[in-house]
Amino acid sequence: MMRQRYAVRSMIIAGGFVLAVLAVIVQIIRIQTSEQAKVFLSQGDRYAGEFQTFYPERGEIYDRNGHLLAGNRTVYEVGVSLSEMASPDSLANILSKYLGLTYDDVHKKLTDSPKSWEYVVIQDYVGVNTVDQLKLLVQQMQGADDNRLDGLAFKPHLERSYPENSLASNVLGFVTRDGRGYFGIEEKYNDLLAGNPVQVWVPRDPNKATEIPRVPNGTTLVLTINRDLQSNVESILDKALSDYGSPNGTIIVMNPRNGEILAMATTPRMDLNNYDNYFTLYDNGSQYNRSIGMSYEPGSVLKVLTMAAALDAGTVRPDTTFVDTGAIEVGGITIQNWNRDAWGPQDMVGCLQHSLNVCLAWVSSQMGTQSFYGYMERFGLGHPTGVDLSGEAAGRLKVPGDGDWYPVDLGTNAFGQGIAVTPLQMLMSASAIANDGKMVTPHVLYSMLRDGHQYNVPTQVAGSPISSNTAQTLNQMLVVSLEQESSQALLPGYSLAGKTGTAQIPTEYGYDPTHTNVSFVGWGPADDPQFMVYVWLETPSASIWSSETAAPVFAKVAEQTVILLNIPPDVVRGQLVTK
Amino acid sequence: MQGQATQIIHAYRQAPWRVQRQWIGAFLLAVVGVAMVAALYLDVTARAAVAGREIQEMRIQITTVQRENADLETKLADLTATAVMEKRAEDLGYRQVLPGELDYVAVPGFALPEPPILLAADDTAPAVQNQPVEYTQSLLEWFEDRVKLGGLR
Repeated sequence: MMRQRYAVRSMIIAGGFVLAVLAVIVQIIRIQTSEQAKVFLSQGDRYAGEFQTFYPERGEIYDRNGHLLAGNRTVYEVGVSLSEMASPDSLANILSKYLGLTYDDVHKKLTDSPKSWEYVVIQDYVGVNTVDQLKLLVQQMQGADDNRLDGLAFKPHLERSYPENSLASNVLGFVTRDGRGYFGIEEKYNDLLAGNPVQVWVPRDPNKATEIPRVPNGTTLVLTINRDLQSNVESILDKALSDYGSPNGTIIVMNPRNGEILAMATTPRMDLNNYDNYFTLYDNGSQYNRSIGMSYEPGSVLKVLTMAAALDAGTVRPDTTFVDTGAIEVGGITIQNWNRDAWGPQDMVGCLQHSLNVCLAWVSSQMGTQSFYGYMERFGLGHPTGVDLSGEAAGRLKVPGDGDWYPVDLGTNAFGQGIAVTPLQMLMSASAIANDGKMVTPHVLYSMLRDGHQYNVPTQVAGSPISSNTAQTLNQMLVVSLEQESSQALLPGYSLAGKTGTAQIPTEYGYDPTHTNVSFVGWGPADDPQFMVYVWLETPSASIWSSETAAPVFAKVAEQTVILLNIPPDVVRGQLVTK
Repeated sequence: MQGQATQIIHAYRQAPWRVQRQWIGAFLLAVVGVAMVAALYLDVTARAAVAGREIQEMRIQITTVQRENADLETKLADLTATAVMEKRAEDLGYRQVLPGELDYVAVPGFALPEPPILLAADDTAPAVQNQPVEYTQSLLEWFEDRVKLGGLR
């Protein structure tokens, strides 16, 4: 009887348990399949991880000797975790003091943010020193059990940094806070430098943690620029502008054998760490790097190209005599010399030495339009050089058939009037004379470093507008004319070739009678050119003549160049070769 | 006598407690089996979780170290910038050399140094190729491996 009663009780209890378990299972199934379950699941998925974008470190930029010109440094985003915030008043007080903000602005951000926000950014790009001070303060307060700064957060990230400040700023360009490069190398090679950001789903569950795909750093670039030479050239340019009362100027130093630009200085330069100054320094983008962005009438430096063309075409020889009467009529317009004098019988060296407009206008007239402009085209005038810098201007070469070309242009173009070039264009064209007839494409990139490999930029020959013989002949003519002129461009111990250029400035009402642009193109050592220099000083007030302004600047640049490039004087070089 | 013995054995075999014990034995065997699988799964999962957490921490460390490297490199460049070095040289009594003050000496075999390769280290730590299989295989794959190897060792 007892046994039967126990059995019934046991059955009831077991049945109760079974029912309870069944109820739990039914409830589980009901919850899993309910409408709300989908909402919960999606909420769960949302917090299961997040899409993170991994930005590669922007590639660095070095000069040819390994000096860092553009790198990266840590800055912080200072923010507040609103859920952890204990005292908005204290945070606003401290942050306004350290970050240079107003109390009201910070307080408003902390208290008026939407309720759904968990975190609010107070200021980004805060320097390490400021953040270190704030961190110390937080640490001290936490040590004293004071929670008023709770919620303060610092998120580190990198920003572009330029250790040399304004050095070579015109070549480098700059990077804004959105990570985009502007001007120069930073813009030209922006994609390479920036690398490729990678977006991946990062789960919070460590069980699901997977290897993040490798985010390679941006490509590191090595430039052809020699930092020390660049610094010296910039100093020489700044002094020249001051000495000769010139508002702006440009100096370029290039290796004529391979087109490597060793230094490129222009004004104004800006501190790249403070690029907000851009709008106060420049009216437009073409002024950022005048070497490539601004074209101008070069004047007599262009005579070297006219003479090269005439020699190569066989129109003249070095000893061809021209009797200078002081004037020549081309296209119905009379052309005169710079001093309006008649220089009598002159050979071609004399024409270059005394920079005779009449002689060169006669030379181009003898060549004829087809030959003359054919050569000018081959010298690359009117086309960008293809230099690997952003913002290059093409210049202008009017040719017969253009609406604004007149027959007199054949004469004036021969001595650099009515033709517009950039300093770099002029340098590239003249490289054919210094480099045995081969014209090299100027470039600033020496090599790229990526994935452990170095890719060197090969020399590019842009053309051979003249023969090697012509180049050597003209080279010698320019050495002699420079020496016979007792030029201030000479450097004792070194044979240099070069040509001055004093150009009137065209205006809406004809040529400006009071101002000139002065230029000089030269190279050395003449028997084995290792450097070329182009100088352009805009509207100097101390003297309108290139021989008194640009020429001595060339000599100073040449002096520094031979020292920094270890080029011995001609005599010593001869002894070294014979040994 | 023999019939009596057969009867005892038969009675033993049909004893209700013996049938119950067989059921209990089978049930316990199943429970032990499930417990073993659960324990193994728990062990592998726990180890995977620890490894995952380590990966997350190492990722943070890598980012921090990369940032510190960039910082140090820039700091070094700041300290050796042209303007800084010029000032240091001037403070030490040096001045720029003039062309006439230079002596050139012929050194047989000497060639001007070319710009060096600046990349000292490869930043391309390749994706981990020799990751232990324990990090990737499922429990079933692991079990299959063990069976092939001849047991749990």
